[in-house]
Amino acid sequence: MALLELKVNGQEVRVEAPDTALLLDVLRERLALTGAKRGCETSHCGCCTVRVDGMAVHSCVVLAVRCEGKAIATVEGCGDGMELDRLQRLFLEHGAVQCGYCGPGMLMAAQALLEQNPAPTLDEVKKGLDGNLCRCTGYTPIFDAILAYGRGE
Amino acid sequence: MADDYRVIGTPVVRPDGAEMISGQAVYGPDVTQPGMLWGKILRSPLPHARIRSIDVEKARALPGVTVITARDVPDRRYGYAIEDEQIFAVDKVRYVGEPVAAAAAPDEERALEALSLITVDYEELPAVFTAAEAARDGAPLVHDELGPARSVYLASWNPVHGTNIIHQASHHRGDVDAALARADYVFEDTFHASQIHHSYMEPHATLAAARSNAVTVWTCSQEVFQLRTLLAGLFAIPESRMRVINTKVGGGFGGKIEPRLEPVAVALSVHSRKPVKIVMTRAEEFTAAAGSTPATVTVKTGVTKDGTLTVRDIDFLWDTGAHAEGLPPSNRAMKDGNGPYRVHDLRISSTLVYTNKMRGTQLRGLGVPEGAFAIESQMDMIAERLGMDPLELRLKNILEEGDINSIDDVVQSIGLRECLVSVAKEIGWGEPKPANVGRGLSVIAKSPTTHSSISSAYVQFNEDGSAQVLVGASEIGQGMSVVMCQIAAEVLGLPVEAVGIASADTGTTPYDRGTFSSRVTFYTGMAVKLAAEDARKQLLEVASRMVEIPQDDLAAAEERVVSPAHPELSLPFREVLERAHSYERPILGRGTYGGKGDYPTLPHKAQRKEYVPGWKYAAQAVEAEIDEETGIVRVRRIASAHDVGKSLNPVSVDGQIIGGVVMGLGYALHERLQFDQGRIVNPSFMDYKIPSSQEIPEIKPIAVEVPLPEGPFGAKGIGELAIVGIAPAIGNAIHEVLGVRLKELPLHPERVLDAVESQRKRNGG
Ligand code: FES
Ligand code: FES
Repeated sequence: MALLELKVNGQEVRVEAPDTALLLDVLRERLALTGAKRGCETSHCGCCTVRVDGMAVHSCVVLAVRCEGKAIATVEGCGDGMELDRLQRLFLEHGAVQCGYCGPGMLMAAQALLEQNPAPTLDEVKKGLDGNLCRCTGYTPIFDAILAYGRGE
Repeated sequence: MADDYRVIGTPVVRPDGAEMISGQAVYGPDVTQPGMLWGKILRSPLPHARIRSIDVEKARALPGVTVITARDVPDRRYGYAIEDEQIFAVDKVRYVGEPVAAAAAPDEERALEALSLITVDYEELPAVFTAAEAARDGAPLVHDELGPARSVYLASWNPVHGTNIIHQASHHRGDVDAALARADYVFEDTFHASQIHHSYMEPHATLAAARSNAVTVWTCSQEVFQLRTLLAGLFAIPESRMRVINTKVGGGFGGKIEPRLEPVAVALSVHSRKPVKIVMTRAEEFTAAAGSTPATVTVKTGVTKDGTLTVRDIDFLWDTGAHAEGLPPSNRAMKDGNGPYRVHDLRISSTLVYTNKMRGTQLRGLGVPEGAFAIESQMDMIAERLGMDPLELRLKNILEEGDINSIDDVVQSIGLRECLVSVAKEIGWGEPKPANVGRGLSVIAKSPTTHSSISSAYVQFNEDGSAQVLVGASEIGQGMSVVMCQIAAEVLGLPVEAVGIASADTGTTPYDRGTFSSRVTFYTGMAVKLAAEDARKQLLEVASRMVEIPQDDLAAAEERVVSPAHPELSLPFREVLERAHSYERPILGRGTYGGKGDYPTLPHKAQRKEYVPGWKYAAQAVEAEIDEETGIVRVRRIASAHDVGKSLNPVSVDGQIIGGVVMGLGYALHERLQFDQGRIVNPSFMDYKIPSSQEIPEIKPIAVEVPLPEGPFGAKGIGELAIVGIAPAIGNAIHEVLGVRLKELPLHPERVLDAVESQRKRNGG
């Protein structure tokens, strides 16, 4: 067991966890931040995507201890907790959320993409979401939401 | 017509959207309870073996651990159609992945440690892995005895005892053999569909809490009421003490209909006296949940020289794996196997066979994709032979209003011709294109559900005049929540934001058969409409007493009771509710739909006693680039047109179409569960690839509106058909470019290259 000092969504938290604990499990089981989802064990679905120092990562394969001193951002930090932010609203308006299980991960991947590339092309969006699977929407509504954000809608 | 409605037909955003996209929605794996334990299941490593003994001593010696096997649970069989399963394997295992024992512990690691201490002594038995082998005389028997069937299926259940054939059905009309002999041309071809996996992103997850002789189960399910009945029977407690609460469901596609983790979770909770949660790993999903039910389909079609289809003889052989959840698809094929075609003489037979593999079950379109791949591929083969345009051949033979369909019903509310013409136009059918680009078409149909397909709904008013919808159907991502709120808002004269919804909790919501087979918009939608009308009537009754104006002169509009005869009247709902709640009784509208007699306006019935309206039709077209050197098929554009009756919410309708099309793309091009001696060898998203963002073509969804009189505001369901016709349409496009016909799915590059190679050989090249 180790005492981890993490910075999650701008807040410093201390949490006990085994040295081998994965970031996803620490977020979900110890910090009750269940927005990040588990969809696989092999780093292939992206449902667990969070941002670490701005980068979109699969939190299911990142050791929590490696994230000490870094800024961790999860879906729970989007908007102000009550109101949705612009990207979240566009996701809903474009029907980018069906069952919603991929949604938090998609959103974090999209945020990372848009920060690096504020007005991406369709191909760049497709590439940016390559690590995130969705079985419901056929992706097109997700692309549309991100493209609309890039256009400033 | 759209102008007549305030809310129906508008792109309202889902009421549950915000909680999902902010990470607050509680899915199966997110549920917790105080003092909860984690459960894990020990699964069979062998496809077919006798269990000589199970030693759990060491595992039970671990502190804080509960371990159970077949000895510790009720000795009862269960299953929605055929009762061929027990909570844990008894005497023998029938597939790799079958539950043999389970453990609950304070954390998952400890539960896994307990499982590792269990020893099972197996004696391997000969096994069968394909339907063809299993159907042969003398094949090893997966189940020594067949059945029993549950009562709703008994009448139509036809097993061959002493074999692996769990069900056989056949339906015919006319003199098929004579018609085949008369036909100018007869085509006979055999096609193989592959077994695919539902691959919802959320794995199965269940939390069961057995407390003071009542049990609560939180689970992600498409059918909570069926589940409650089954669990109450299994554990012999009244349904009043078995509450099933649906969590948010992260996708279902047919894979979350029948029980999976629930019986084991309840049993562990009963024994440990603690709440127990079980979450499947993705590997368990692939090896022990279920896949689609694959089929081999042989089609014989007779046509005249001018391209009129006269006769069809279709034979389905289904591989249901170790449990008979393939019964619904195999039965469905009896109705839908012929596709949307006018054929005079028709025979369809369907055989469902057990094998020693993970079960096949329902998967989006249940039974229709397998048949459509065969029929729609063969249609192009017929067109080629007759020198006809595949579009012309289809236009000449598809069902039209007033025709008699495959099950002798009169066709009504069909928009298929318009669907076909619009996708052909959209894809540029007949227009010039490069030599490496092919285009393909398909037309498809799906019959409505029949078996006791009842939905019910409550609509109640809150104190402030807003309203609450309660339905027993499950929201699994399809967007039911928003559509039900729209229907109630439209009827009640409320803005859609003033309608809330709660669903799928057997403790609070009214009975619903569940979410499957594109039935919710139609059945649950009608129930909500009736319940809202009932609530409005009750509201106006109270208002009538308050203002002393006859109820017939009153109407509900913009959150107020108004009266055309008394223009000065403007009584806020809120005041009526105050009166109702304080001095009269709460307003509770009730609606039920789907029983016999609910469809009085139907056209004449030729033969069958039970008519159900709401056949769904669609046409699809693809344009693909085919690389002859590598065999790689790159789909560039897809158009998918659906006769939706009435589009209640265009964003939801487009979403269902596009999502289905992309699932169809995976089914067509690369998805397949691969087995080696009954063991699945690709149980991960690394080895079993579903479509990713990079391979999404341009997709044009088209909604054709031919209102269905029995549906809510004319609407039909839409959830499934979009998956169905993509595979044959791509197969047809491949044929157009390379001249080869692929009869086995998926259409992956090696298959394409093999086909090109054997064609070269045949041509003496
Ligand atoms: S849980 Fe699937 S990539 Fe992390
Ligand atoms: S919305 Fe269901 S997986 Fe993306």
